[in-house]
Amino acid sequence: MATINPEFGKELKKYGAFDFNACYNCGTCTSVCSLSTEENSFPREMVRCSAVGDEDAIKESLKPWLCYYCGECTTSCPREAKPGELMMSLRRYLTAAYDWTGLSGLLYKSLPVSIIAFISVAIGVIWYSASQQFEVEKIMHIGHYFEMFAIAGVFAVILLPNLIRMWYFVILKPKVKVPFKSYITSLGELFVHMFTQKRSLGCDDNQVRWFEHFILVIGYLSLLFTTVFLDWFSATNLLVIILGYVESAIIFIVTVDFVSGRIKKNKEVSKNSQPSDWFFVIWLLLMGLTAFLVRLFIDLKILEYNFWMYLFHWIVLAQWALLIVPFGKWTHFLYRSFAMYMEKLKA
Amino acid sequence: MTKKKIGVYVCHCGGNISDYVDIEKVKEAVKDEANVYLLKNTLFACSDSSQKEMVADIQTNELDAIVVASCSPKLHVPTFRGVAQRAGMNPYNYVQVNIREQGSWAHSDNPKGATEKAILLVKAGIARAAESEALTSSKIPAANVVAVIGAGVGGMRSAIALADMGTEVYLIEKEKNVGGHVANFGSLFTTDKMGYELSANLLSEVKKRENIKLFTNAEIVEKKGSIGNFDIQVKVDNDVLPLHVGAFVVNTGFDSYQPQQGEYGFGEQTNVITLPEFKKLIDNSSERLIFNGKAIKKVAYIYCVGSRQNDEGDNKYCSRYCCTAAIHASVQVNKKFKDVTNLHFNRGIRTYGKQELLYEESSKNGDIYLQFSLDSIPEITQKGGKTFVKVKDILSAGKEVETEADLVVLVTGMVPRENSKLASQLKIPVGRDNFFNEIHMKLRPVETVIDGVLIAGTCQSPKNILETMNSSMAAAAKINSVLTKGEMTLDPTLAKINPSQCTWCGKCAEACPFDAIIQTEFDGRIVAKINEANCKGCGMCTPVCPTDAIDLAGFTNAQIEGMIDALAE
Repeated sequence: MATINPEFGKELKKYGAFDFNACYNCGTCTSVCSLSTEENSFPREMVRCSAVGDEDAIKESLKPWLCYYCGECTTSCPREAKPGELMMSLRRYLTAAYDWTGLSGLLYKSLPVSIIAFISVAIGVIWYSASQQFEVEKIMHIGHYFEMFAIAGVFAVILLPNLIRMWYFVILKPKVKVPFKSYITSLGELFVHMFTQKRSLGCDDNQVRWFEHFILVIGYLSLLFTTVFLDWFSATNLLVIILGYVESAIIFIVTVDFVSGRIKKNKEVSKNSQPSDWFFVIWLLLMGLTAFLVRLFIDLKILEYNFWMYLFHWIVLAQWALLIVPFGKWTHFLYRSFAMYMEKLKA
Repeated sequence: MTKKKIGVYVCHCGGNISDYVDIEKVKEAVKDEANVYLLKNTLFACSDSSQKEMVADIQTNELDAIVVASCSPKLHVPTFRGVAQRAGMNPYNYVQVNIREQGSWAHSDNPKGATEKAILLVKAGIARAAESEALTSSKIPAANVVAVIGAGVGGMRSAIALADMGTEVYLIEKEKNVGGHVANFGSLFTTDKMGYELSANLLSEVKKRENIKLFTNAEIVEKKGSIGNFDIQVKVDNDVLPLHVGAFVVNTGFDSYQPQQGEYGFGEQTNVITLPEFKKLIDNSSERLIFNGKAIKKVAYIYCVGSRQNDEGDNKYCSRYCCTAAIHASVQVNKKFKDVTNLHFNRGIRTYGKQELLYEESSKNGDIYLQFSLDSIPEITQKGGKTFVKVKDILSAGKEVETEADLVVLVTGMVPRENSKLASQLKIPVGRDNFFNEIHMKLRPVETVIDGVLIAGTCQSPKNILETMNSSMAAAAKINSVLTKGEMTLDPTLAKINPSQCTWCGKCAEACPFDAIIQTEFDGRIVAKINEANCKGCGMCTPVCPTDAIDLAGFTNAQIEGMIDALAE
């Protein structure tokens, strides 16, 4: 038995949702959704849980992750309850719910807190660089190590525990019986979705959105690999150097399109941007752009006199790695693919 | 006088009849019947050209009766009576025979049988036409005066409408004050006007009109007569006034359903109240919603209390106004007080028409709607001095959900007012739901089977104020159109008593559903007499008369016997 909790709706509105109370349960949203199935139907059920305030049911549900926001539900809703935006807000809410530190929730709900956090990280980087007398080579060396430790640290301290919490909410707490073998056999699902976002092809809107997202993910992951493991900024191999340029260019070209979409509000998915959405696309754009420029400055041999370029890149990188990756929108990369994995486990 | 020159028309009705009934066979079979002077078939008897042809036939052949074998008399009797009239023939010398609804359509699987049946029906029709008599309608004077019973908002509206059309009105109210329930209401839905203002406005309009006489503390104690000429005695305070009226508009309103002891905790738990009580609480509270000294933060509304009941309850109907009234109350709550959550436990929201906007407003305010079915109604429980409402929410796939509630509001419906005395005085038919019954929900919505007794407002069925006003004005217009001429035409198909054969056994008076048989003196004996204004020509009296002293014009014994003979051939 669930307790009706009207306060939950108010809490959810801090994550961006609005007007979902207007829902009169006609189910149009569910019937037009091309991803909703008879066994796994949404978004109406999620709208209902939100209105009633059934928090446990939402935490237990993977449905918010199964939606890829084509927005057809929102355009079809006769009550203008915006079910698509509710699903988006539920993803933000779940990200916060999975996060054991509670920082995700703070950052999502408060723009001032986010700005303070971003400024603090920037000050930290500048302060540290100053303590090293802004020596380019030394700082770039440390920057490379920072990247590696940040990845390992964030994953071990934040993301892994959060994934375990997700598993606890979805599998353990509701006492879903999963044979051990399934954990192994379902791994394929995890990786396929992590690297291809195949499911979003089922959305009716168009395939361009999938393709853009797909090359962005590939570009991002390979740039990460190129900078961390191939040490792009110190590389001498021409192939590696060119590879890094291509990857970083892909990132900022695609994200320019994403940012302009959010400015033009030309698609349902880009109509209701929250600060967390802006941070994510803009920082990704800046990452691609600054990495590209840093390497360009190196190749033009002008970085030594333009240390600010690297400092700017490092600030963006640090904010990305310490805020957006562990507590922000970056996490959808993990939660979406793990949701598909856990969905398979439950089946 | 037997009619010697009868015209018979057999209709094809396009193919509706002729596809199954062999028209030629019918004609062949009846052409030699006695008194048939003219026999024709026609593609559509009701068409303009056919009607003109019939008029010409009647006039050139000097026919003294016609038979039209086509569809149901419900459809075209007025048409062919008109044909007769235009041709200079008495309309009652025309006989309708139904070979479509009772012939081709009923026996489309058996054309041969349909044809045989049609032959017999036409023969019977010819026999009836042969014995038909010319009848003329009589006229009686009618008083253009209406007694409107009940001075609620509907009754007052009827009275004003009647008065403005030139009808005298006696507005008779049982209570001391006018306005009924509405006079005690605050804000009304869809307009937000105050109920007491609406009532006061109507009262001032009533008072402006000299041809409305308002009696409060008044009751009808006696009624005699029939449409156009009723004599009533009205007790006002301690005086009895004799009044002469042409008709009644009954607008006696409703009662709010009073929950039974223990129904959803009513009467057992102090914080379980009805919607009318809650509306008063809203009206009487300012700034904070306080009940029994406690600030109310969560209100649970339970819908359909006393309405849409299952087999154990009498009230099967939907009370129509309560969904909107409850939602309107919740919207009022949100406007007037801060931080109150409304939880609506409903069985499907019926805020039809423009009332839907209120539902939308309430949803957008964040009200929570939960839906249940009669199989699992909400449970109200007390735990540690707190009240909880638990329900299986249909919209959450039947999941059980629970909430604490500071106040439980039972959204009670309408029940018919206890009115049995008036109902028996005016002989108003009462339906299975105990509301007064109209003749036909759609075709004659404000008339009852008793001529001159009209019903309007919530004494007829649950209605909101808008619907009450509609029916109140409809009843006013309907009865004004009858009385305004100052006289009334009576249908001539009435029962007739042959006083020399009557011995007054009283059986006919017992059988008459319209009180149309009275006693009179004839040759020093008591005999029966028909009050023609009351008689509907239903024929209930004729078969019970042991001395065959009653004949029904248009359906005389001679006609019926002739038809039986023709059918039994």
